Amino acid sequence: MLQGRNSIQGWRVFTTLGLILLLFSVVAARYYWLMVINHETYNKRANANYIRAVPITAARGIIFDRNNNILVDNSPAYSVAVIPVEVKKYPESLNRLGEIMDVSLDLIEKRIKQNQRGRFAPAIIFSRVPFEKISRLQEGRLELPGVTYSIEPIRSYPEQAEMSHLLGYTREIDQDYLNRVKTDDNDYEPGDEVGWKGLEKTYEAELHGSRGYRYMEVNALGQEIGENENRPPIHPIPGNDLRLTIDLNFQNIVSEAIGDSSGAIIIINYKSGEILTYLSQPGYESSVLSGRIKEEVWAELINNPKTPLYDRVVQGLYPPGSVLKLVAATYLFENEKEQAEYRCTGKLKWGNREFGCWKKVGHGKIKLMEAIEQSCNVYFFNSIEEIGLENWSLLCKNYGFGENTGIDIYGEKDGTVPDEHYMDGRYGKNNWTKGNLLNMVIGQGDVLVTPIQLAQYAAIIANKGIKFEPHLVKEVIYHSGRIKFINQKNSEQVVNVSDETWQKIHEGMRLVVNGKKGTAKSARQKKMTVYGKTGTSQNTQGEDHAWFIGFIDNPDLPIAWAVLLENGGSGGGKAAPLMGKILGKLGKNM
Amino acid sequence: MAISRLLKRKWKSLDWTQVFLVSILISIGLTALYSIEFQQAGIDKSFFARQVIWSLSGIIAFFIAFFIPQKVLFNFAYVFYGFALLLLITTAFIGSGSVSRWIMIGSVGLQSSEFMKIALIIAIARYFADHKIQLRHWKEFIPPILLTLVPVILVLIQPDLGTSLVFVGLLFIVIFWGGIYPLNYFLLISPLISMIAVFNVTAFFIWMAIFVLVLAVSKPPIIWTIGNFILNIGVGGLTSLMWDFLKPYQQNRILSLFKPELDPLGSGYQLSQSLTAFGSGGVYGKGFGQGTQTHLKFLPEQHSDFIMTVIGEEFGFASVIFVILLLTYLIARMIYFAGENKYRFNSMMLLGGASILFLHSLVNLGMIVGLLPVTGIPLPFISYGGSFLLTAMIIVGLAANMISNDRM
Repeated sequence: MLQGRNSIQGWRVFTTLGLILLLFSVVAARYYWLMVINHETYNKRANANYIRAVPITAARGIIFDRNNNILVDNSPAYSVAVIPVEVKKYPESLNRLGEIMDVSLDLIEKRIKQNQRGRFAPAIIFSRVPFEKISRLQEGRLELPGVTYSIEPIRSYPEQAEMSHLLGYTREIDQDYLNRVKTDDNDYEPGDEVGWKGLEKTYEAELHGSRGYRYMEVNALGQEIGENENRPPIHPIPGNDLRLTIDLNFQNIVSEAIGDSSGAIIIINYKSGEILTYLSQPGYESSVLSGRIKEEVWAELINNPKTPLYDRVVQGLYPPGSVLKLVAATYLFENEKEQAEYRCTGKLKWGNREFGCWKKVGHGKIKLMEAIEQSCNVYFFNSIEEIGLENWSLLCKNYGFGENTGIDIYGEKDGTVPDEHYMDGRYGKNNWTKGNLLNMVIGQGDVLVTPIQLAQYAAIIANKGIKFEPHLVKEVIYHSGRIKFINQKNSEQVVNVSDETWQKIHEGMRLVVNGKKGTAKSARQKKMTVYGKTGTSQNTQGEDHAWFIGFIDNPDLPIAWAVLLENGGSGGGKAAPLMGKILGKLGKNM
Repeated sequence: MAISRLLKRKWKSLDWTQVFLVSILISIGLTALYSIEFQQAGIDKSFFARQVIWSLSGIIAFFIAFFIPQKVLFNFAYVFYGFALLLLITTAFIGSGSVSRWIMIGSVGLQSSEFMKIALIIAIARYFADHKIQLRHWKEFIPPILLTLVPVILVLIQPDLGTSLVFVGLLFIVIFWGGIYPLNYFLLISPLISMIAVFNVTAFFIWMAIFVLVLAVSKPPIIWTIGNFILNIGVGGLTSLMWDFLKPYQQNRILSLFKPELDPLGSGYQLSQSLTAFGSGGVYGKGFGQGTQTHLKFLPEQHSDFIMTVIGEEFGFASVIFVILLLTYLIARMIYFAGENKYRFNSMMLLGGASILFLHSLVNLGMIVGLLPVTGIPLPFISYGGSFLLTAMIIVGLAANMISNDRM
């Protein structure tokens, strides 16, 4: 049997050989398809597989005042991250991390989910970690596999002066923000700090800079082995620096002068629109709001009755009070009605309503110039008859009320200047009377303005009808050293009245401060002539708001201002002396 | 002395071409292993060294297989088989690890199914040595089917799907060489095709149409026709039930074959990493020790089942084709000599050995590029691992033995 002959037919051998060749050819064809035809695709995939781009945060631009004092800087801070795939393997690591950081495991897991950029990439879960915690993490390193920390630049605020609303703060980017900017050509990622309020927000595009990358080789466990030799790192490009129009010295003086009172003070160069002082009080600590904010801190800020999160300069809507009388005065001077004389008995009866003057005993017989100096309500009540609602509201709009000033800070409110259309809408057609207008002409009732609008108004008056758009940033300084000047807008004649009219208005304002019966005598200065107008606006929520607007006629320092003391009392009694104090200090430095 | 003269004659008739082909294949495998360990910190560097020792053992095994008298093989064929079966049964109960494929001899783990591969080849060759057996009667099918089915079941419960499929594949090739009528062969393999086709409704109906057409044209006895038709439908229907019988990881292996991207970090992980490494190699490869995918451990099992991926990534398409050509030539030569050999026993021995090498090569080369399910089948001579290297060396040793028998 061992010698049994082999009688296999040839076709069976050939079929077998053919089948073997065919099947191996199929394999070879597949290899050709993978390795030759689709080589590029797989090569890219292979590189993505083993090279991890590790982002390097770019430092945000530095913010300087006009004299190169640093207002916002960067300083190093520690952040703690975990590598998701590793902590999944060693869950006890998260427990230990929670103990050290003093937070619950749930919170850590929530943050991992929020900030995860991939299983192997570190997800930042704590920013601005104090050094003491970092050293504890370092000590317990062996119990914390998958936990890493890194140093990143964060914002620091070296100056004490109140500038929080001006500068704003940065926050960690949220999902909404990411979704919003996703369409644009930028490189935002979860965990990034972005400008959230104030100039940080307005100039986010300039300040942000662009992230750099280091290309690390990683193994299949996601561990970084070292930098890839063939791909040099891309260095981060720091954000552009900003030079502001703000004068730190002024800001300090103003900040000190206002003390703890709530209010707003804006000082503006009326020859350029540059804002030298921007103060909204109370503010907050920018560094506390930056990055991730603790919920209890946030709750406290939100519930604080003094509303520190609210920027009074651009968002506060107030009745302007008597400072608005200059609008009516402009009309009256221009139309040569200044000789009209009215008798002030301390009140004006209109139908069955009574409209009072601040001076209960009345000003007696009074003309326009005196009415400005002494801020007589009754005079202006009478004058509305001469002006009419449409003329008055048009002039208000020319002065910039009822619309944005265009200042480079987000969230500016328009305010309200009532005209016929507005009144019809508000009270119904023919349902409102001249009685409603009486209040408006003295800056009460339906008219609402922001402090920045009043500062602009003062600047327009000072500049005889020429407006420069108020702005806070003078120039952008590029990383390369190149300087881009911005906000160099042309002036615009917004209030077109004769020079005599302006002189008369200025005279009226001079008398307010320097006249015998002026309401703002307390703002009088020896070194300079101060022009001003006080206002006291009633509000339903307590004490009156005190206003003082004005300017000085100094070619070297052409400044105008608006001062608001919320619930501060009378303009003449509170706001004017405060500005007097400030001007006194500025005078010393001049 | 007669024996020494005999040995001398045997030595002279050694098929050096085959030795040469095998040497190159082993060298390629060692180079790839060395490359994996080259310049890599923190990796177990002993794979290369151990494989060198295995290769030396393999050479000894080759010559034992070469010099072993044909008579011994023939006479002890069923004894070998019985011993291998015993070993399989033993491992099924005392095997180590969660997957009980290994039996420990001293500190060396050997896969008992490897012995069975050789024993099965010899036993089947022994059966077919009687040239009167031409598979013309159904009774002639029973011994080879039984010889194969028993180890298949034992291997399946280990569970080792890949090896059991290799046994089944071997059986089908051997039966084809045994002299079966083409129509009967068609009827025999049709249930298998039904089994695969049932996963796609359209494919199943097309297949059934072809099946009915062939039956109609060839007109086998009516009982056969009806019986086979019912069998096919039944097998098709049962396959979905048997699908549930498979272990989840076996199901996943088959599923990930079709959709590796579905679960890139789960069952498809190996495959998608393998494709990435392979495709990124290009025509000439990344160079010795430069494979990023394999070296950074993206690819699991790179020493053993996925060794070809390392070769593909580092040495490129050209080298991969070279390996395929070497294997094809080696196997085709064995088939050719199987056809030419004077003796049926020798022929069947050569065919069985060639079949094992072919099935291993095809399944391995196909699985690493997603043509076949990932079944854990090593590549002959190249993959790391002692058991199968020894098996493959014994197979080529026996083949050389059979070839020289013919020449002497």
